[in-house]
Amino acid sequence: MATISARTAAGIGAVAAAGLLLTACSGGGGVATPGETGAASEGTTTAEITFWDPYPQREAGSDWDNLVKACAPEGSTITRTSAPQTDLFNQLTTAVKEGNAPDVVLLDNPLTPDAAASGLLATAEQAGIDTTGIDENLLGPGIVDGVTYGVPMGSNALALYYNKDILDAAGVDPASIKDWDSLNAAIEKVVASGSKGITFSGIAGEEGSFQFEPWFWGAGADFSDLASPEAISAGQLLSDWVGKGWAPRSALNDNQSASWDLFLTGEYGFAENGSWFAAAAADNEDFTVGMVPIPGKDGGLAPVPTGGEFAVAPLQSKDASDHYANAAAVIDCLVGGDNAAKTSETLGYLSANPEIRAAQVSSNDLWTPWVDIITGAQGRTTELGADYPAVSGKLSEAEQAALNAAGDAAAVETAFKDAAGS
Amino acid sequence: MTNAAGALVAEATTTGEAVPPRPRRSRARWAAVAFVAPLLVYLVVFYAFPLVQNVAMSVQRYDRGTFVSGGAPFVGLDIYREVIGQPKFWRIVGQTATFTLVSITFQYVIGLALAVFFHRSFKLSATLRAMFLVPWLLPVIVSATTWQWMMNPDNGAMNTLVGWFGIEPVWWLNAQHSLMSVTIANIWLGIPFNLVILYSGLQNIPTTLYEAAAIDGAGPWRRFWSITMPLLRPVTLVTLLLGLVYTIKVVDIIWIMTTGTGTSQTLATWSYGMAFGKGTSGVIQYSEASAVGSILLVIALAFGLIYVAVQRHEEG
Repeated sequence: MATISARTAAGIGAVAAAGLLLTACSGGGGVATPGETGAASEGTTTAEITFWDPYPQREAGSDWDNLVKACAPEGSTITRTSAPQTDLFNQLTTAVKEGNAPDVVLLDNPLTPDAAASGLLATAEQAGIDTTGIDENLLGPGIVDGVTYGVPMGSNALALYYNKDILDAAGVDPASIKDWDSLNAAIEKVVASGSKGITFSGIAGEEGSFQFEPWFWGAGADFSDLASPEAISAGQLLSDWVGKGWAPRSALNDNQSASWDLFLTGEYGFAENGSWFAAAAADNEDFTVGMVPIPGKDGGLAPVPTGGEFAVAPLQSKDASDHYANAAAVIDCLVGGDNAAKTSETLGYLSANPEIRAAQVSSNDLWTPWVDIITGAQGRTTELGADYPAVSGKLSEAEQAALNAAGDAAAVETAFKDAAGS
Repeated sequence: MTNAAGALVAEATTTGEAVPPRPRRSRARWAAVAFVAPLLVYLVVFYAFPLVQNVAMSVQRYDRGTFVSGGAPFVGLDIYREVIGQPKFWRIVGQTATFTLVSITFQYVIGLALAVFFHRSFKLSATLRAMFLVPWLLPVIVSATTWQWMMNPDNGAMNTLVGWFGIEPVWWLNAQHSLMSVTIANIWLGIPFNLVILYSGLQNIPTTLYEAAAIDGAGPWRRFWSITMPLLRPVTLVTLLLGLVYTIKVVDIIWIMTTGTGTSQTLATWSYGMAFGKGTSGVIQYSEASAVGSILLVIALAFGLIYVAVQRHEEG
């Protein structure tokens, strides 16, 4: 009896030790590095296709979910997984490292250059992704060092929504908003009439930077100098809104959904927000919602950052060609040719292809005012490529400090100079 | 590696089958090793390995590319020097200290006051005590979001409340006040933990001591300072140490309320932001995040050792 138990115990110990060795291995160099070989044309689609997107709010059974799953090639099924943008990107990083990346990922466009430069993505050519006919400004974030890595799923943009009832009561004609001065005059009238001014999202991080960029670029600033007088004037504009009580102080912590919810209370005259709310704005029953483009400081349209995701194929280490064939089939089904129109409508985006966009606009009048904004939009990564996220972080720091300053010009200037120097 | 592991298993099997029974001592030693092995494996896989990996990351310069492909260059303690050399480092250390010390002080004092209060077991005391546990039971995402709403500078409940005392509305979550605001929320969150542990500590104090003291003419104050506090010392030590370790690494409530902006940035939120490229960190910084994580670990370890030393002193 004693012999058996000792032997069994020894066996368990040995197995445990073996497990330990294996675990130690998987942390080290035991993982195959992703190769750069393989092409969609040399592979065949497989029975199981994995698909990642950053839309956790679009649940199983939603229109989007059905659209994606209907794109499975004959004999395949698509498994769809969703996570918020940054988390999705981090999960993708780990997955490529471990050699079990999904077949298709929809990646937020400003993250795409970082992903490509970090060796996470197969080229569009390898993965058989067709990018012909896509607008240059929208395709921009997908091109790194002259190589294309993916295709935009469509585009969204920012504009100023307004509460028509409030503007009418305050005697403000939205068409009069041509530059920052006329915008400020309009907000002032709205506030004087007893309503609140404007909501926007100033939350720390990329989301806040995204909302700040139309003002930043609209003032004539660029990323090469965060402490330029133009950059500071953009910070001053928003800081003054908070200081004068025109914008809620919670803008400091509000994300875009929270700031939209504030606008929907019907207390605010204006809201800076995205085209993804265009349908909700048109359907709003409590008050009439209108929209004007964001003006530049001295007139004209401010360039807004292009929003939306890229469909990309992660780099694969095993059976790469088959995975790329999966990616080619699914991405083509989603955005290839005329399919793009349906996908854009489902996502609430405008197509990145001007011809399809024209068709989309002619069948849905909602989009008409957005066309010029999209055409004039600027890629966030066009100037800096993979270095964008770091600069965006500094811009966000500057904006946070500027909003905290609540109008204090000296503090706003320090905010931008500190961020530029850090 | 798989081969080596296989060989090990094979060797173990053959040892058991072929070799004639060894002296009893050797067999017993094998058994001892076998009994310890599962625990050892657990410790190595879930404690030692992540710890070593964390330190390893902080002495190599990782970015997203080298994280995937390997080959991050070894840079020694450069990352630590850079992190500590940043102008904001000591400011963040100070904020972390304030957050932690103020949190555990108030949590402990309020928790103890409530524990003493409930110890008298009046009618409904069990029900009321249960209600004080609510902060502990709520998911932090719920309580942190609720605090964020209550601290809305324009129309939050907190400003209505302070308004009754004639205080001007406060911009709770701005850079200047955010440390105070997240500390208030964290104190509220930590009271139940202190209450439960201290309450159970109180129940272990024999009531005869109180009775004897009362007969000798000691008032409630005297009984509290001369009986309750000294006898509660071991429990107090554990509560404070655990509270400290919990509080120093708090991320969730701060992150949900302020994303670690302004004065509410602590070592833990700073490390979290860099580790995942969130908030104003923008870009992912594996090595810097690991370095800050290691610093946090050393601090927590130091307090752990202080606790052990104090306890040994008590027993000795």
